[in-house]
Amino acid sequence: MIWHIAKKDFLLNVISVRFIIGFLLCLLIIPFTIIVNIDDYKNQMRIYQIDRQEAEKNIKETHVYSGLRPVIVKPPEPLGIFCKGISANMGDEVKTNFGQKPIFPEGEASLRDNPFLNSFLSIDFVSVITILISLLALLFSYDLFTREREDGTLKLNISKGISRSTFMAGKILGVFIILVPLLVFCYLLSFLIILLSRDVSFSTGEWMNILILFIVSLFFMVFFVLAGTFISSLVRYSSTSIVICLFAWAWFVFLAPAIINYGVESFVETELYENVRYALDEIDRQYYDIHNKKSREIQENEKLQSRSWWNANGGLDGYFETSGTPLEVMEFERKLKAWSEPLRIEYADRKWAVQKKYLDDLTRQGHWQQYLAWFSPSMIFEQVSAGLCRTDMYAFLGFMDEVHSYREILIGHFKKNKLFDSFRYITAQPLDQIVPFEEYYRISKSGNIPDCWSNSNNPVLDLSDIPVFRYRPVSLPVLINQGLLRIIALLAGSIVLFVLAQWSFNKYDIR
Amino acid sequence: MLQAIDLSKRYEDGNLALDSLNLEVNPGEIFCLLGANGAGKTTTINLFLNFIDPTGGQALINGIDVTKDPLESKRFVSYVSENVMLYGNFSSRQNLDFFARLGGKTTLTKEDYYMHMRRVGLQEEAFEMKVKKLSKGMRQKVGLTIAIIKDAPNILLDEPTAGLDPKAASELLKILGGLRDQGKAILMCTHDIFRAKSIANRVGIMKEGRLVMVRTREEFLEEDLEKIYMDYMQEAVL
Repeated sequence: MIWHIAKKDFLLNVISVRFIIGFLLCLLIIPFTIIVNIDDYKNQMRIYQIDRQEAEKNIKETHVYSGLRPVIVKPPEPLGIFCKGISANMGDEVKTNFGQKPIFPEGEASLRDNPFLNSFLSIDFVSVITILISLLALLFSYDLFTREREDGTLKLNISKGISRSTFMAGKILGVFIILVPLLVFCYLLSFLIILLSRDVSFSTGEWMNILILFIVSLFFMVFFVLAGTFISSLVRYSSTSIVICLFAWAWFVFLAPAIINYGVESFVETELYENVRYALDEIDRQYYDIHNKKSREIQENEKLQSRSWWNANGGLDGYFETSGTPLEVMEFERKLKAWSEPLRIEYADRKWAVQKKYLDDLTRQGHWQQYLAWFSPSMIFEQVSAGLCRTDMYAFLGFMDEVHSYREILIGHFKKNKLFDSFRYITAQPLDQIVPFEEYYRISKSGNIPDCWSNSNNPVLDLSDIPVFRYRPVSLPVLINQGLLRIIALLAGSIVLFVLAQWSFNKYDIR
Repeated sequence: MLQAIDLSKRYEDGNLALDSLNLEVNPGEIFCLLGANGAGKTTTINLFLNFIDPTGGQALINGIDVTKDPLESKRFVSYVSENVMLYGNFSSRQNLDFFARLGGKTTLTKEDYYMHMRRVGLQEEAFEMKVKKLSKGMRQKVGLTIAIIKDAPNILLDEPTAGLDPKAASELLKILGGLRDQGKAILMCTHDIFRAKSIANRVGIMKEGRLVMVRTREEFLEEDLEKIYMDYMQEAVL
């Protein structure tokens, strides 16, 4: 009997204007969105490849260990075509610096060649599903009972000896069998465009993520169908129902997310990043005070009159490379680095305490946003989708944790192999060609400068034993586990709405 | 058989729509309930169909209390409303098929539906026409066909001739007469005293929720039913 009612509703809906408009909207918006996002992905991939080549080139040209700053370039997430999440606001590369732990990736955040166009083209597949499917779900369910009552067919149906529960179940199933094919159509259309584009390929695991995303989309749709059903069971007129449904839609899809985000930013306090930067600069100043004091102390101990370099490059990040430098100065620099680099790492940890507090504040805001998202099914859906597409806050934090772990591994490697104490930390010049002061002056006055006195002429580092960073995307079970509670919340909300609709329709005055 | 035993309905606003109605409609009988608007006729039908719950008494269909076992009781009753509003985008045959299956008749063929529609005098061209394009008289006939197909022993009709032209109304009554001859118990609420007089075995006049008068066919044919009815109506107006 349920199927019989559902089939009737399906046949009536499939020839309705709302279905035709809904179908046309899907047919127009989905391809456009997917094409734009494939284009974004291609741009991201282009940027990634350029950045990666540059990082590889730089590392291959490194002569000394103090210049070894592996740049980790994060590959763009192909699943980002479905849900961009926060990836559009994040850079793609992180420098593993001993002097400071990275907090955010740097690099290209903008996806388009013309940044002025970003805001016009930033909608993704999940946003379309959030807006369109929730609207269609409400448009197909707002008059489930009111229209039948207004048309007089509700009395005729109920007079046939079917229970109200059966009638309601049939009506809801009728909406599902029209909307589920529409949702499937949206996904199939997007797959078709992705496959035809040949620019994106998904692994088996990623296809599984998409399958779960589809299932979550179904749950999301069910929620709005049941919300419309409940509203329809509360009121007598379709005109009242559509007004309430449109308000509920605007609230859940636009207002609640905006209010939640604004509320979280306003009421969950965070330190201003300017203050964080000031605190970091202060720690750096302390480090350089100690560094300079120690530098003078070593210089006095070594009885070094002056620090002369034939060729030297360096920076505040600890990089120092020299060639053609007198043995006494070279020894001084080596001793200074052997002492200063562990201290630099220690001060990086001190700075991390400040950075971590700032990051924790931001994360706390993120967590609050997620707690409050329980009031908005569209936010829950978008967060679960971003999680499944590995473009959410957790994916970002996970990536940064991996970068930090890699940095620790790299530091461990340097310490284990005593690289901070080595001449190779500061010079690529062969050790047997490093000469004392007297010889240095003689050669420099003669004008007959050996090639090895130039940094660029010396051999690059052999990096075969240096630990390599390997990006491991979060696995599907972990992603499901992260989003499980929110998926359950979506289902629980649907169950509550179903029970409420059932209760309300049992009392519905069908006259 | 339809029975109302001290059947009452008081709405939440305090209005007593039906006051201790006692009524019995036997197989092979047409009982016409006459009365002004708000007299309680439609409330009686709604109570028999369990669309609303009574605040007192019982409504029985074939001895089954409609509030205690609404689904079972509805197996034994068909209903035709004042304005038969079917699914406008379905044809007459599709509407018949839907409601027949809903009533448990799952083996009927297209030819069976055509046969039933011919029997109520619906024109052939209306069989596959969308219901929204049919006249009110045609829709009433489709509605009656739905009731006939269910083949329930009891039929409830709420103002079935309202808005119909004389010919269509006369055809409808002829069909009802045929159903009575088949042994159906028919309760019909109407304003139309002339139609009631021409078809009813018994008539009852309702006023302010009470059944104030019942006459058998023999009795009302001897009396001036119009005058009695108008007198009651007049009192109601005063």
